[in-house]
Amino acid sequence: MPLLALQNLTIALPPHADRPLAVDDVSLQIGRNEIACIVGESGSGKSLTAHAVMGLLPRGVTITGGHILFQDIDLLKESADAMRRRRGPDIAMIFQDPMAALNPVMTVGHQVAEQIRAHRAISEHPALKQAQELLEQMGLKDAGRLLKAYPHQLSGGQRQRVMIAMALSLSPKLLIADEPTTALDVTTQAQILKLIKRLQAEREMSVLFISHDFGVVADMADQVAVMRHGRIVESGATRDVLGNPSHSYTRALLAAVPRGESHLPPPPDSEALVRVSGLTKRFRRGGLFSRPPAVTAVDQVALTLKRGETLGVVGESGSGKSTLARCVIRLLDPDAGEVLLDGVDIAHLKERALRPLRRRIQMVFQDPFSSLNPRQTVGDIITAGPRILGEDARQARARATDILSLVGLNPQTMDRFPHEFSGGQRQRIGLARALMLRPDVLIADEPVSALDVTVQAQVLKLLDDVRRQMNLAMLFITHDMRVAAEVCHRVMVMRQGKVVEEGPTRDIFAAPASEYTKALLAAIPGRGRTSNRPIP
Amino acid sequence: MNFARRFFARPTAVFGFAVFLVIVLIALAAPLLFARGPLSIIGMPLLPPGSPGLLAGSDVIGRDMAVGLAYGARISLLVGIASTCCAVGIGVLLGAIAGYYGGVVDDLLMRVTEFFQIIPAFVLLMVLVAFLQPSLTSAVIGIALITWPQVARVVRGQFLSLRSREFVEAARVIGMGDAQIIFTQILPNALPPIVVVSSMMVGNAILTESALSFLGLGDPNLMSWGSMIGGSRVAMWVAWWTTVLPGLCIVVTVLALNFIGDGLNDALNPRRRG
Amino acid sequence: MKFSYIAMRLVKTVLVTVAVVLLSFFLIRLAPGDAATVMAGQTGYGDEAYMQSLRAEYGLDQPMPVQLWRYVEKVAQGDLGISYVRRQPVAEIILERLPNTLLLDAFALLVAAAGGIWLGGMAARHPGSAGDSAVTVLAMLFYAVPQFWLGMMMVLVFAGWLHLLPPFGIETMGADFTGLARLGDVAQHMILPGMTLALYFLASYARLTRAAMIDVADQDFVKTARAKGLTERQVARRHILRNALIPLVTYAGLQASILVGGSVLVENVFSWPGIGTLAFQAVQARDNPLLLGIFIITAILVSLFNLLTDIAYSVVDPRVELGQ
Repeated sequence: MPLLALQNLTIALPPHADRPLAVDDVSLQIGRNEIACIVGESGSGKSLTAHAVMGLLPRGVTITGGHILFQDIDLLKESADAMRRRRGPDIAMIFQDPMAALNPVMTVGHQVAEQIRAHRAISEHPALKQAQELLEQMGLKDAGRLLKAYPHQLSGGQRQRVMIAMALSLSPKLLIADEPTTALDVTTQAQILKLIKRLQAEREMSVLFISHDFGVVADMADQVAVMRHGRIVESGATRDVLGNPSHSYTRALLAAVPRGESHLPPPPDSEALVRVSGLTKRFRRGGLFSRPPAVTAVDQVALTLKRGETLGVVGESGSGKSTLARCVIRLLDPDAGEVLLDGVDIAHLKERALRPLRRRIQMVFQDPFSSLNPRQTVGDIITAGPRILGEDARQARARATDILSLVGLNPQTMDRFPHEFSGGQRQRIGLARALMLRPDVLIADEPVSALDVTVQAQVLKLLDDVRRQMNLAMLFITHDMRVAAEVCHRVMVMRQGKVVEEGPTRDIFAAPASEYTKALLAAIPGRGRTSNRPIP
Repeated sequence: MNFARRFFARPTAVFGFAVFLVIVLIALAAPLLFARGPLSIIGMPLLPPGSPGLLAGSDVIGRDMAVGLAYGARISLLVGIASTCCAVGIGVLLGAIAGYYGGVVDDLLMRVTEFFQIIPAFVLLMVLVAFLQPSLTSAVIGIALITWPQVARVVRGQFLSLRSREFVEAARVIGMGDAQIIFTQILPNALPPIVVVSSMMVGNAILTESALSFLGLGDPNLMSWGSMIGGSRVAMWVAWWTTVLPGLCIVVTVLALNFIGDGLNDALNPRRRG
Repeated sequence: MKFSYIAMRLVKTVLVTVAVVLLSFFLIRLAPGDAATVMAGQTGYGDEAYMQSLRAEYGLDQPMPVQLWRYVEKVAQGDLGISYVRRQPVAEIILERLPNTLLLDAFALLVAAAGGIWLGGMAARHPGSAGDSAVTVLAMLFYAVPQFWLGMMMVLVFAGWLHLLPPFGIETMGADFTGLARLGDVAQHMILPGMTLALYFLASYARLTRAAMIDVADQDFVKTARAKGLTERQVARRHILRNALIPLVTYAGLQASILVGGSVLVENVFSWPGIGTLAFQAVQARDNPLLLGIFIITAILVSLFNLLTDIAYSVVDPRVELGQ
């Protein structure tokens, strides 16, 4: 008898949603003492499936058919109060963003103790004592002090450990983990995944793990189900599904996962186009009264960039990689150092002197939603740059037609507004805006991190094609080593504002010199296993 | 247009718009309808509404209430709209500068607006108007002076958040100048909350003006709804219409403006994306 | 951190006070005529001796910075000038009336906060229900009603028609109640003006509480609370309301200055012997020193109240040390 069985589960969305059903006739079994993963892209219904098991669907979302059997009892027939009493002791859940999932005005200790006291008749003090033991089991040091801390005083990894401690405090039989590491840095992600795996084995519980990342799935799952548009397209033992996928969608998904190994031909040899040296940027905060010490976001960074070459800048959050990009393109004013573009130092030019040179360095931004002005048409957005340089409106539009085709968009869409496009299409529009100015250098700041994996692969390929066709020098900012391997000739690893290590991608991946790079590479989810995936 | 359809989809917005239109028409037509003006005495005092020739009765010294109410609309709307225009002008300018450039200018502006939030604005207004001598101008100046920080805060907040949006960064990257960024990129996106706040501010200014006039700090040569109520306090017990009618006029006008503001809010910020 | 936050707020309060005094100084000079004519008001024109004494007092023959310094010095010593009409120190007159105003305002604020949070919480629990709509409609209405007129209507209805409550004053004239009887008498007199003053704020508290609670209810940690198996009541009280209170505390501080303005009007309607009626009398008699004194004192009181709400804010929100 499985611990949990979903039978023909169907979940309807509110009347005005973009589709009628979020989950369509889904059946799934989770045995005792195993980790089952549901993997899928955004909108696949994987998260709502998990919430349905917990009895925590958002307002307006309703279950219209099927059964959820937990130890052979249909949870959908349980009263609200009976279901409530199961949350914690029987089934517990952790969420994607631990900062948002913890109450900001309650101490960590009280939040964990509250979970215990909601179902056990014990008083505050012993509950806090149990909470402390739990935090220690989660590998948190100084647990006594942490009990009195508020969530904002903790790091992302600590917060997720607190969430896990809370979820496991009543020894549930099933833990539901909804993308529990998506908001975390890659090294922290590796630690949390390991922790969940260890706890699962120790406590012999079952885990329902929701993820969009095949690497994570490969590391975690015993069983896997692939979801798309609310349906399960394929399921089975992880090794079978990943090693020998039967459904075309699974194959496409797997093919889109970056391999984490470099296969680019070397770039044409040429003079360096961009030379950065000693670049430093400090941030100071505070107004008239308070002056906390400055933070050095970028510290004495040097780099060179040739035509036709892509340099990847890789680092976790807070490494200064985005600040570096913004200093090079002069969205920020560096405090020290130089940025030579064809021998001209643009690091300290006044805005007026800089403006004619801006054309030569362009940028593709991270967020497909906020990088396009919602009140302008695509045509206006991408022809604004040439118009500023004095290009005739008709000519600019004619060129825009070509550029839109180049980035794979229908030129007829020029009179539409950004909200009519998908995330991937918007990134193409952003690229078109940059290319309209015939730049020499293209800076791509996490251009695919907001995209689903299949779209991500397409946009990466497009960027690489454009780089080759236009002989661009590309500075590629990313947090994802796998993505960097896909498109970068050379990689520069940054940490806390400093360059840790730099070299050809192949060399860095094969023989990293620094401990930090080694840790980063080791933390790549699914490493080692992805090598036996089929190549389409 | 899409916007108009969304606005008029709300019954309250339709009601507000219609009522406001009627009040504006009455205000504009008052001198044509009642050439004698609101201050002339036409008969016995305290005649009830419906007396011959007196739609709304007469007041404590025998002036036609209906004429007073029509002329009062002129004062209310004039003060409400003029003071809001001044306040919005100053507030948008300073808020935009502070939000866009940040730094010391921003710090300074924030301290000034905080100061205006903390001090009792109405008492300051009383002092101002009393010292400047009560008149239409001093009411407009005074109300604008105590309300512009509200607009400045909203505009500053909008500019501050929009300034760091990626599409504004993209505009800088393609070589756009500050003025063009402000007018083509930021302002169109910052406009909705400014419009909403402004429509609410007209209503509030009308309330403030009526309070000033009620306390005898209105222009002594003009008839306003507030001064009609203030002047009829002695007759409150014997002639309800002298206080009730001008008060209702204020309520209806302000309510209409708030309904319009709510409608604009919904029409300009559709909750569903796209 | 918390300490430095409070210290910072204290400094701010002092700065606001200084700014208020500076503003008053320039307000006097804003008016047509010299400061003495302004401070003497229109009735002062006939009394040349008084004018001379005023000119000497403010050092009007001295350069501007000296005049400013003298003025600041005087205010710092609690000297707000002499009321022309009453020939009595302004500070003395105001302090005598102040307790009545504080009583009325405190009553109104308590009623508004308690009633508003209760109503707003009810409305937030069932958004879109009839009760929720009723709260929204009432809030809209009270936003549009001039407070002084609302007061007059309350008098007409509750005192005129229904004879339920006394319409004017703070106690029954000539009754000379003592002890509990007097307390009850004052309480009876306070209901109409207090409710008039409170209704507007009650409406805005209800609206704000509703918005804040609906906003908080959408956040992830509320889902966590449900996932813990807490009852809906526990979720609402410990997690939603607790977080929704944070904007309400800030709001209370901001409302204080509006409350003072409302109190001027409402006191006048009900002949409540506080500084609001005093302000009106000052306007009527062109008693400018008194009017300005009322501005300075109320401004200082409101900024002190803001200091209190800032401290309360640092108690309800542990994150204050992060921002400013």
